[in-house]
Amino acid sequence: MTRLTNAPPSQAEVEEAAPRRGFLQALEIDLRVFGMVVALAIILIGFGFLTDGRFLRPVNMVNLAVQSVSVAIIATGMTMVIVAREIDLSVGSIVGVVGMTYAVLMARVLPDFLGFDHPLLWIVALAVGLALGAAIGAVQGFVVAYIGVPSFVVTLGGLLIFRGATWLVTRGVTISPVDPAFRMLGGGPQGSIGGTASWIVGGLACIGIAWLLASARRQRRRFGFPLRPMWAEALVGTFSSLAVLGLVWLFNSYKWPPGLAERYAAETGNPIPPDGLPAGIPWPVIVLIAVTLIMTFVATRRRYGRYVFAIGGNPEASQLAGINTRWTVMKTFILIGLLCAVSAAVATARLDGATLDLGEGYELYVIAASVIGGTSFSGGIGTIPGAVLGALVMSSLAYGLSFMGFSSPIQDIFAGVVLIIAVAFDTINRRRKA
Amino acid sequence: MKRNRYLIALLAVLAMIVAACGDDGGASDTTDGASDTTAASGDDVVVGISWNNYAQPRWAKADGPAIIEAVEAAGGTVIEKDANDSAEQQLADVDALIAEGADVLIILAKDAEAILPAVQRAKDAGVPVIGYDRLISDPEAFYITFNNQGVGTIMAEVITEAVPAGNYAIVKGHSADPNADFLREGMVELVDGNADINIVCEDYNDNWDTNNARNMMDACLAANDNEIDAVISENDSMATGVVAALDAVGLAGTVPVTGQDGDLPALNRVALGTQLVSVWKDAFGLGKTAGEVAIQLAQGVALEDVKAPDDLQEHVFPEAGVDAQTFDADGVEVWSIILKPTPITQDNLNLVIDLGWEPQDAVCDGVAPGSVEACG
Repeated sequence: MTRLTNAPPSQAEVEEAAPRRGFLQALEIDLRVFGMVVALAIILIGFGFLTDGRFLRPVNMVNLAVQSVSVAIIATGMTMVIVAREIDLSVGSIVGVVGMTYAVLMARVLPDFLGFDHPLLWIVALAVGLALGAAIGAVQGFVVAYIGVPSFVVTLGGLLIFRGATWLVTRGVTISPVDPAFRMLGGGPQGSIGGTASWIVGGLACIGIAWLLASARRQRRRFGFPLRPMWAEALVGTFSSLAVLGLVWLFNSYKWPPGLAERYAAETGNPIPPDGLPAGIPWPVIVLIAVTLIMTFVATRRRYGRYVFAIGGNPEASQLAGINTRWTVMKTFILIGLLCAVSAAVATARLDGATLDLGEGYELYVIAASVIGGTSFSGGIGTIPGAVLGALVMSSLAYGLSFMGFSSPIQDIFAGVVLIIAVAFDTINRRRKA
Repeated sequence: MKRNRYLIALLAVLAMIVAACGDDGGASDTTDGASDTTAASGDDVVVGISWNNYAQPRWAKADGPAIIEAVEAAGGTVIEKDANDSAEQQLADVDALIAEGADVLIILAKDAEAILPAVQRAKDAGVPVIGYDRLISDPEAFYITFNNQGVGTIMAEVITEAVPAGNYAIVKGHSADPNADFLREGMVELVDGNADINIVCEDYNDNWDTNNARNMMDACLAANDNEIDAVISENDSMATGVVAALDAVGLAGTVPVTGQDGDLPALNRVALGTQLVSVWKDAFGLGKTAGEVAIQLAQGVALEDVKAPDDLQEHVFPEAGVDAQTFDADGVEVWSIILKPTPITQDNLNLVIDLGWEPQDAVCDGVAPGSVEACG
């Protein structure tokens, strides 16, 4: 992959080297991810039609975004696991045991040392939970990578072990409520960053996009790769920025419910704007965006990420090429354990407590999201944004059907059909390319 | 998404292993029928209790101590065995209890049908059997339980009194669990039959899942512009999700929510005013009844002449009075005492505290002093 000559070619050479390409190729959009975005838009607009536009109101978009977060966070890790030709069935149980740990620490253990409402309370609980998630991942990863027990078996055992452990932590009793500051991670108007902060985040994102495009162009020129035509760069930059600002606008159009806004105004002394108090981007969505960015960076720009894809593509060749495959696989399990802990924080915060069934069935949703997002079970293929979009597609369907009053069995049927259709599309596509 | 197929397969393997062990236990047991058939007074009665799964907190907290207290008050003693949630182990446990000299058995059956061979052996040995909390499908087994069908009706009564008209949301339990439908049937007359009540959302929740309840409530609120006036949740853990959803739109405390089980978080919400009612089955009352009925049966009182303790507290007192009633369980008629479930609201919150179900400081956590009587 790396270019061996050091002398940068002249600009004329580069421009010449770029072959004439079609419109879409010139834009260099990942067609899979683009297709997912289109599918998501079709689902949303379809529900909009069926409900006379009521579905497209900001409150619904905010709800379904928040509902997808727990699954989407883990799906980014599951993509790496599946790409490395492994599987993790224990994610739901890890969410359960870590979620219960958060709740017990905040409600029972830590107040004895720190006192209730101590500002460090939730930070300590979060740190312990993240460490626990990573430790569970490390143990499972060690057994898979170094002892050689198939991951299906190890994590199937984990599914049972950690669900049992969840029960043992409290003997099945629900723990509620959690620390008020921690609850912000669950979203809702009080768990959102507010209107002004949302515009700032949006603005920073636009600057980030411009910087990324510019630096990518600089890099390509440096190494003599073909450049994207200037108009394509501008188009991609403009559209991405508009999409970001559109999303911020959407989140800001969701106003605090009047009663809640009045209470908030009375508490803080700030007046409510005449057209309502904008809620802004919910914290869980911020967490998901951060996780997606970091995971994408790790998967595509770090040596570890490249190794995972190499192992998935051909494990024997990667090992012969000197990659420490065992350590890489173990790291992948540590990563997904950590992500389960992040997801558990969001789920516990959203329910304002931990129940015995927290995270039950997640493994199936997470694997489905990852696979709908284009991850291949034969390994080596998958993208992080695809997995997040897969989770969004599933939660849009479930939320839309629930919004229209369809019962949960119908929602399950739809989820199953979409899963199969998405993978069928993928399979046909790949076969045609091959 | 339903239960995992592989989990079932694994459990099947486990069941086979346990079954093998259980058979051994049964085969080695040859000392059946060593006990006296009747005892003259309560003085030397030995009451055997076979628990299905004592690890669940409820039994150790309330039922067990209440039974022991009632039995010991009459001068008897108690021997116990726990089957760890295994129907096979429970068969062996019952054999062992009979062998150890139990005069009467209180059985919390894992399964209404699977326990029948053990009940037969008890009958052969002349030991009367009480089906505790869960039915045993044998006409000679006495049945002591709560009016489970009545729980849905009680929820409907309490919430329709608070909200006589308006938009209702109904959050039902697991669709494959008949209890979800029993509860719903109990509400039909008061809710569906009321022209002023408009049911705007209603759905099952797989596995009585809290997260599903939250998701459903989010969608329900959005679909109805937050114009929901009351929520009937069939249990407390789903109510946790419902109240979290209401809280996110500032309606927690304004929109009444039901539940059942008397879970600590739910009782705390009742104290805080974010949940209207948790229908609670007073396990102390159930245990006391079982203890006293056990003594009567051991003394040779016929099934139809058994009486519930007449000093049972008013909130659990059987609606049918102290006399044993017949109960029709899918064609099998058994003699029974059916206690009354108790709606716990802010007004009678002191009940759960006074009886020692949950401590006051936990129930009243975060409650402003003076706002709720039970919290002081």
